Amino acid sequence: MKDAIVHFATQHPKRIMWLTLVLTLVVAAQIPRIHIDTDPENMLPHDQADRVIHDHIKKEFNLYDLIVVGIVNTNSADGIFNQQSLANLKTLSTGIKEIEGVINEELMSLSTVDNISQGSGNTIRFQWMMPDTGSGEIKVDAIRTAVKRLPMFENTLVSEDNQAAAIYVPIEAKELSHEISMAIQALVDQLPGSDQYHITGLPVAEDTFGIEMFKQMAISAPLAGLAIFILMWLFFRSFVLISAPMMVAMATVLITMGALIGLGYTVHIMSSMIPIFLMPIAVVDSVHILSEFAELHKPGDNVQKTIEKVVSNLFRPMLFTSITSAVGFASLAFTPIPPVQVFGLFVAFGIGLAFILTILFIPAYISLLSPERIQAMAEKHHSQTGVNLSGVLTGFHWFSAQQAKLAIVIAILLGGVSYYGIQQIEINDNPVRWFKQDHRIRVADKVLNQHFAGTYDAYLVFRRDNQQIETRFKQQLQSLAAENKAVKNIVDQFDADKESFDSQIQNLISAADNALFEAETEQDTNALEQLMSLLEQTQSETKYFLQPEALTLLQTMQDHLNQGGLVGKSNSFTDMVKTVYRELQGGDQNQYRIPETSSQTAQTVLSYQSSHRPNDLWHFVTTDYANAALWIQLKSGDNKDMSAVIEQVETFVANNPLPEGVSLEWGGLTYINVVWQEAMVQGMLDSLLGAFVMVFVVMILLFRSLVFGILAMIPLSLTIALIYGLIGLVGKDYDMPVAVLSSLTLGLSVDFAIHFLDRVRAIYDETGDWPETLKQMFDEPGVAILRNAIVIAIGFTPLLAAPLVPYITVGIFLASIMATSCIVTLILLPSIIGQIQGFIFKNSRSVQS
Amino acid sequence: MKTLRALSSLLLLSGPAVNAFAAELPVSEIVEKANHVAFYQGDDGRAETRMKIVDGNGREQVRQFTILRKDKKDGGDQNFYVYFQRPSDVKRTTFLVEKHVGGEDNRWLYLPSLDLMRRISAGDKRTSFVGSDFFYEDISGRALTEDTHVLAETNDTHYVVDNTPKDPGSVEFNNFKVWINKDTFVPEKTEYYDAQGKLYRSIEALEQKTIDGHVTTTKMKVTNHRTGGYTFSEMRFIKYDVGLPNDIFSERSLRTPPQQWLARPKK
Repeated sequence: MKDAIVHFATQHPKRIMWLTLVLTLVVAAQIPRIHIDTDPENMLPHDQADRVIHDHIKKEFNLYDLIVVGIVNTNSADGIFNQQSLANLKTLSTGIKEIEGVINEELMSLSTVDNISQGSGNTIRFQWMMPDTGSGEIKVDAIRTAVKRLPMFENTLVSEDNQAAAIYVPIEAKELSHEISMAIQALVDQLPGSDQYHITGLPVAEDTFGIEMFKQMAISAPLAGLAIFILMWLFFRSFVLISAPMMVAMATVLITMGALIGLGYTVHIMSSMIPIFLMPIAVVDSVHILSEFAELHKPGDNVQKTIEKVVSNLFRPMLFTSITSAVGFASLAFTPIPPVQVFGLFVAFGIGLAFILTILFIPAYISLLSPERIQAMAEKHHSQTGVNLSGVLTGFHWFSAQQAKLAIVIAILLGGVSYYGIQQIEINDNPVRWFKQDHRIRVADKVLNQHFAGTYDAYLVFRRDNQQIETRFKQQLQSLAAENKAVKNIVDQFDADKESFDSQIQNLISAADNALFEAETEQDTNALEQLMSLLEQTQSETKYFLQPEALTLLQTMQDHLNQGGLVGKSNSFTDMVKTVYRELQGGDQNQYRIPETSSQTAQTVLSYQSSHRPNDLWHFVTTDYANAALWIQLKSGDNKDMSAVIEQVETFVANNPLPEGVSLEWGGLTYINVVWQEAMVQGMLDSLLGAFVMVFVVMILLFRSLVFGILAMIPLSLTIALIYGLIGLVGKDYDMPVAVLSSLTLGLSVDFAIHFLDRVRAIYDETGDWPETLKQMFDEPGVAILRNAIVIAIGFTPLLAAPLVPYITVGIFLASIMATSCIVTLILLPSIIGQIQGFIFKNSRSVQS
Repeated sequence: MKTLRALSSLLLLSGPAVNAFAAELPVSEIVEKANHVAFYQGDDGRAETRMKIVDGNGREQVRQFTILRKDKKDGGDQNFYVYFQRPSDVKRTTFLVEKHVGGEDNRWLYLPSLDLMRRISAGDKRTSFVGSDFFYEDISGRALTEDTHVLAETNDTHYVVDNTPKDPGSVEFNNFKVWINKDTFVPEKTEYYDAQGKLYRSIEALEQKTIDGHVTTTKMKVTNHRTGGYTFSEMRFIKYDVGLPNDIFSERSLRTPPQQWLARPKK
């Protein structure tokens, strides 16, 4: 079969070339339809439970994703409390409101909120915090005094040190945030004065990352390609020769990305790295073929015959390395994270494609070369003009032959150190940290979180289940209806299933009120009044968060959270009620307290509702007062910090059980990041273990030997252990790119082992002597392995120049993986084999088919 | 005025010329008449209002209150007394307003559960009316002197008046258009536009009835086009010229509601 395929390729080289070209062009034509998606929320499927809750909470409390704009003034002793800064704040706020995609009336800044204060006599003043004075003059001192009195604004709209003011810009959709932040920057550029401006918030970070990522795809991947090209030229010194692997790599990348985009998948952070992952894998097989061809081809030989023989020899190891690599990546499909699944499956597809292209395209390409060119190429190869690696290999040879025991001991020690290192791994991620330290988003994030309570949001929602009240109410309603026809008429008008309990009661009250006016007999009037009293009683019972104990519950939770050091500030309905209550009572600080009854709270709220922004209330409590949300401002978006806050809440609840019927739910972007991270860590571990087992099985089948199967697994096991041990030891957070690299490690490090062990067996079968086998191994096969390792490792150094941390991480780790697995394969494997050769080669059989 | 009307009814016979003539009614008179129809009918009046506040998510809140009104001067200052019936937790909450055309109104608030009476001072009149989509100014009326009025269009049924604020800093709109019925002078639709010329808020008259000889809007809807929320307001038990005494509009009746005048008129 395989011979027939290769034969076809060498007989119809032009067709193969055209076919490849046309296929590449057709599929790559889909690439312009690219849709970038950098929303970490999409790390979870749309129907994932926490995400559904998060979406529900956003809708329920009218919450939007926020861009945070900070104005900082460190020159003036009064900070931002000066005419110029406040005028700028007002101009900027007004300008931002008009930007397309900004939720106009939800924008929060000093110039868009109300102030409640005491006037002369018995007067309470409700007015804009920065009212229009006509002259344009701003009453700076009055504003400063006012803000300090309003806990909802203090340290949220103005920092405690007075040096910074914030504008919270709610936006319609996260994907607009980069565009909006650019529009904000344009407004900022026109402002006079010496204030500094910072724009941050998770949506900006995420969307900006997408834009940068798009640039990186256009810069990093081609640069990596160029680096690989240059390195290969250093080794082979023949452009003709090394053009072929480059073309295979290019076609593989273009077709895979074209297919991904064409099939309607969005390009996520992970999938943007597919070209970078595929390039080395696609090049590797071709390099093996070309090396072998250059080695075997002698002047005057039939080119077709030689290439067919080469491909025939390499077909099996290449197929198996492709299968194992593909298995490693395809195992990512078992993670519960859609973008990672897509990434894994398409890389696996790309590996398969690269294999097919390699065995068809490379022979066809070589068949098309003129004999003169091949002649020149072979001569160059045999004259060894390329970079010579034999010195290094001699060292490896000496070490594994003479110091085998030491090599094994070192490996075991390293394994031990790695084990310790892995224990130290800290699982953490933070989309803002995907940017380098000096990126303007990182700077803004740092500055604003220094001044303010925090720019990272989480919402803790308290829910009161009114089911019991509802059930009891329905029974009482039925019994009242059974007694009186006028009541029954009202009850029958409503379809209980159609509306919420809260609406039902409100509508029943209106209907009962109408009926009371129409009531003909005293009997009816009495019955209707009874109905009305039941309805009003029930209504007030369901309005849980008007009750003093409910307001106290929110307060107690806030007090607890504020003690933890991680929460910069939390805001609740209780804070609002206490503030308005204090002002109603004359403004004295000892009146800053929770009202004594539900109706006192209701009337306090009603007073607040006669303001410019009555709807701000509904960010903290639902209109039926059955649910309340704590807005938690965190100074850090690190998942580990959010996890610590979650734990804090759990501890609190364990020690202070919630009242009956009350439950908690989490929402907010910072929380969602924790959810997908936890899903990912577990998912990656599962997929890594699954892939490990599958690769192991494939190895046993390939070598038809348990011992060789185990040997093949040693380099990759040690490499993975070392890489992750190192991550733990240097204190690098285990984040998304690091997690995904585990599968890459598995897929790439097994390649070297397969090639090594396959050749060892073949050579031993010929020589029957271990030292001789070892000597030959460190000749051509060793060179091929080392070359591949160096090409890939160095080839990815351009990634280190990327402004995005995940790209740098991938660059560093690709290099480390290559270096480690190559060294482990070339030193540890022969050392072990040397120690147990008698046992291994007892009834050895070559892999050759 | 009267001669004008008479003239126009005479000319009615001569067809199209009427419209041409009617269009010449000065805009100041159109808005004055509309203002009168909306806020000054009769010498005094009472009405029970039920407001259904519906947010962008379709959640409803109901408020029910009685308004007593007495004009001090037709087209000029007037007093309002607002008494809450529902929801039950704000029952007996009371507002008192002394409206001064062209000046700051005097407002008082009484919260029964706190037994608290406060004078309220508001920087402007474009604050929410008890959490609804109505503004305080929609209920009490906006002084005609605050805007420049231009007759933008006259069609078969309506005068369309475009109003631009004289002090743009004091309001959130750029301009608003009012559709005034040519026969009754009832303002039937008002649309508010922002600086980009985008419609963001509108008020519609949904039902009109003639009560005690006055054409009265009995159902209204304010829509916030930005949030998708709206407030539906229904006025019932309306009566004009009930003879409200002046002392109802005093601080004393905030604490002690004038039950006699709040009671629904007998069937």
